Amino acid sequence: MKSARKKAIAGKVLVYVILIIIAALMIIPFIWMLSASIKSDREVFQMNPFVLIPENPKWSNYHDIWTKIPMLKFVENTVFLTIVVTFLQLLTSSFAAYSFAKLEFKHKNTLFFAYIATIAMPWQVYMVPQFIMMRKFGLNDKLLAIICLQAFSAFGVFMMKQFYEDIPDELCEAARIDGMSEYRIYASIMLPLSKPALSTLTIFTFVNTWNDYLGPLIYLKSEAKKTIQLGLKMFISQYSSDYGLIMAGSVLSLIPVLAVFLCLQKYFVEGVASTGLKG
Amino acid sequence: MAKGLSRQKKRDLVAYSFIAPNFIGFAVFTLVPIVFAFALAFFNWDGSNPITFAGLSNFKQLTGDVFFKAALKNTIIYCIGTVPLTMIASLALAIVLNQKVVGRGIFRTLSFFPYVASLVAVTSVWKMLFHPSKGPINNILYTVFHVPMEQLPQWFTGGLVLVSMILFSVWKYMGYYMVIYLAGLQGISAELYEAASLDGANTWQKFQYITWPQLRSTTFFVVVMLTINCFKVYDIAIMLAGGGSGELTISSTVLVYYIYQKAFIDWKLGYSSAVAMVLFLMVFVVTMIQFRGQKKYQ
Amino acid sequence: MKKKLLSVLLAAGMVMSMAGCGNSNSQPAASNDNAAETQTQAAETEAKTEAASDAQTADAAGGEAVTLKWAIWDKESTPYWQALADAYKEVAPNVTIEMVDLGSTDYMTVLATELSGEGSDFDVVTIKDVPGYATLVQKNAIIPLDDYISADGVDLSKYAGTTDQVTVDGSLYELPFRNDFWVLFYNKDLFDAKGVDYPTNDMTFDEYDALAREMTDTTFGSQVYGAHYHTWRSAVQLFAVLDGKHTILDGDYEFMKPYYEMVLNQEKDGVCRKYTDLKAEGLHYSAAFSNGDVAMMNMGSWYVATLISSLQSGEYDADLCGNWGMVKYPHAEGVEPGSTLGTITGLSVTSATDTPDEAWKFVEWVSGEEGAAVMAATGNFPAIMTDEAMDLITGLDGFPTDEASKEAMNVSNLYLEVPYAENVSEINSALDSYHGSIMSGEMTIDEGIAAMNEAVQAIKN
Repeated sequence: MKSARKKAIAGKVLVYVILIIIAALMIIPFIWMLSASIKSDREVFQMNPFVLIPENPKWSNYHDIWTKIPMLKFVENTVFLTIVVTFLQLLTSSFAAYSFAKLEFKHKNTLFFAYIATIAMPWQVYMVPQFIMMRKFGLNDKLLAIICLQAFSAFGVFMMKQFYEDIPDELCEAARIDGMSEYRIYASIMLPLSKPALSTLTIFTFVNTWNDYLGPLIYLKSEAKKTIQLGLKMFISQYSSDYGLIMAGSVLSLIPVLAVFLCLQKYFVEGVASTGLKG
Repeated sequence: MAKGLSRQKKRDLVAYSFIAPNFIGFAVFTLVPIVFAFALAFFNWDGSNPITFAGLSNFKQLTGDVFFKAALKNTIIYCIGTVPLTMIASLALAIVLNQKVVGRGIFRTLSFFPYVASLVAVTSVWKMLFHPSKGPINNILYTVFHVPMEQLPQWFTGGLVLVSMILFSVWKYMGYYMVIYLAGLQGISAELYEAASLDGANTWQKFQYITWPQLRSTTFFVVVMLTINCFKVYDIAIMLAGGGSGELTISSTVLVYYIYQKAFIDWKLGYSSAVAMVLFLMVFVVTMIQFRGQKKYQ
Repeated sequence: MKKKLLSVLLAAGMVMSMAGCGNSNSQPAASNDNAAETQTQAAETEAKTEAASDAQTADAAGGEAVTLKWAIWDKESTPYWQALADAYKEVAPNVTIEMVDLGSTDYMTVLATELSGEGSDFDVVTIKDVPGYATLVQKNAIIPLDDYISADGVDLSKYAGTTDQVTVDGSLYELPFRNDFWVLFYNKDLFDAKGVDYPTNDMTFDEYDALAREMTDTTFGSQVYGAHYHTWRSAVQLFAVLDGKHTILDGDYEFMKPYYEMVLNQEKDGVCRKYTDLKAEGLHYSAAFSNGDVAMMNMGSWYVATLISSLQSGEYDADLCGNWGMVKYPHAEGVEPGSTLGTITGLSVTSATDTPDEAWKFVEWVSGEEGAAVMAATGNFPAIMTDEAMDLITGLDGFPTDEASKEAMNVSNLYLEVPYAENVSEINSALDSYHGSIMSGEMTIDEGIAAMNEAVQAIKN
């Protein structure tokens, strides 16, 4: 009995040691980013000796980022895009995924295959035909172009479908026998049950849209429509690279993403109290 | 009979109505260009001049292309290294962080850091850590393990570059897949574990007989996404191994880089699509095998 | 002669601006002599139906408002775009120049995508490099300028032979407005400290190698690198083409071997930083030179403007690199000094534009002597190097005062980093890749050169 407890304690200690090592590995880049964001160009790449906080911290980087480029406008655009895309993505994906996971219909496998197949295609392959098509629709240099590109991704449908499949069919069957319509089942049974999946998808979509670079680069050209990532790239010019500013921008752009993660992560925890793997 | 048919039809309609909002957008903006790109593999096109039919010549040309073969080989090695490692690491992390651990929220957030942080920033850090002459890793090898100066590993060139890429990608995407697994773990009913505890099952048995089978669709999803994303590796290679003009050498080039180069530097869209077809077929075969595997379990 | 041309241009500009004030509404037949002049041009260009171009050119002369959409990069950090647009506004007030910043990192990719298919609304595009230029020419995205050039009597000889190297089947599709050439930058303080004579405008590669070695100090803590080579292919490989006997498109690269050997031996002996280190650090050449431990560095003349402005703003420490100079590139035995590499930046008229004549006028102006003056005033090297422009640059506050640095600006032979060829972008990619392999030690020099030969010959066939 005693040795078992000892073993348990040793196990716990081991788990914590590993966790702390992992946490350290994970946090290094962020610390480095913070440190680089208050350095001058030359100090950023100085390794020998490496200093965390330079003698003369260049706080001005955090000020310049707002004045050197119209960062506020970029933030506005990015926030708008991210919110719209995430909302559309969640709504349409979970809707379609319900059908794929819980309903039987003609051409189900063919349609689903079409989704999977497109995930496998690198965007670079169809970027040009897509661009020519979008321009024909009059979407060049419109924020709407990015929404159209991002909001209907196959990834979301695939992910939601996999989660719905794990929810027992019996729940739906019972509801059907009770005379509920499929729409009611989706709204009152599936949606509430899929909070963890929905929050996961929210985070992924949010991060993707927030950090997207190539899409905005191709489609958004006028200054008033650019996004944060394009703004950050503006600093990297051919003949000089302003790393301190880029890092300051990266730190700023990271904050909303982390905030969203922190807000949503409680949904992963939900139910753990009753389901946790108790050793 | 007639009534049954109409009920089936009605059911189909309901199902389609669920799919429609997503599918219409998806079909117009993604599927159509992709089908077009698929067809391009059998044509020559530079994006502006008229398209000409090429038959199989693009594919024939592939067989003698040194860069393509190198890219194919590197991509496959990278996938074989990355997929299992990332899966195991993220599953382990998810299981640990699904337990009652003090500071669980903080640990979870930290694990997610590498994924959200910008690639430029994190690759810079990695390149410092693994810097061939000044980096702390090689420093330790030199001072602690007495590896001679000339034999210190060159992490970003030659044979080691793929190893660096694999390690980096496991580190960067572990948190991402951990989140998927965490969400999957929520779906497992607590009663299953309680029943198993009553039967005297130990931790490993619980994992083997409950967690693992219950996570089947999640794992399927994770593995498929991992495979696809690994085959699509591109910017990691550029950032870690790219030279002065962003170019990759024969030992670090990957398929999507080659696709990008052929499409946007050389503007041989047909040839680029042919390379993409090879990539697609590989992903397709791997996915089908996994699909079969998943079906068999059920 | 030059003065006269300038004054004619100015006068024309004034007439145009007056016309512009006179009638803001569209009056197609307002000024007859201009219309007549352009009629002959229209017949030659065959671009449009006669009636259409007739009306168009007349519009321009009459001063109807025209907007030209111009593709550029890095608007914020590159002052000359705005300066050129503003100056042109004085010349042609009816023309509004709308700049679209496509960013520098993926500029040619975005531009080529934008010009794909039909329906682009760009009128004038900046051409950043020759491979990108080749792409646009082959895509028929930009138009040949020959008819305009002969109609307006543009003297191509003023472009120092660079236009010949981008001529495609006898036609020219771009007009350069900026021309950078490579020189050897050096840090005078380091030479003074060591008591070594400064590099000269007439050095062979052997002398250069010896000097670099003499300047090197490998003592830890007071390290000095005799030379520095940026990670670009051009910084090492292209030493080899300066003797004029070979070109980068040859397909047989045995002639590069001595230069790779020189640089790799220097690397081995600690004369220059290791390629693999540079790659891992992502060390920018400007950071390397401004750090004050590099005695000599070969780099393009664009670095002059950077050095001057960064020293003035205090971004670079004047104690470390404030005392700098330039000399001509070293040369091979038996070749006259002053041969160097050049990089041109040009302007092209798109085939999608509705106003090719106005677009051409703009291109002609920017690449002409007035544009050159604007470029020089911002510290950049214009494609047409006039004495005035040269005086403007060498007279800039912060430009080295010694005679050798001024003399270094005189180029005798200019070889483009890549001249035009049909498959130039593929050749360029292959050479880039194997350059990386050789420099990082993945391949020996012989293996790398053999691989280059094989790859380029395969592309050419």
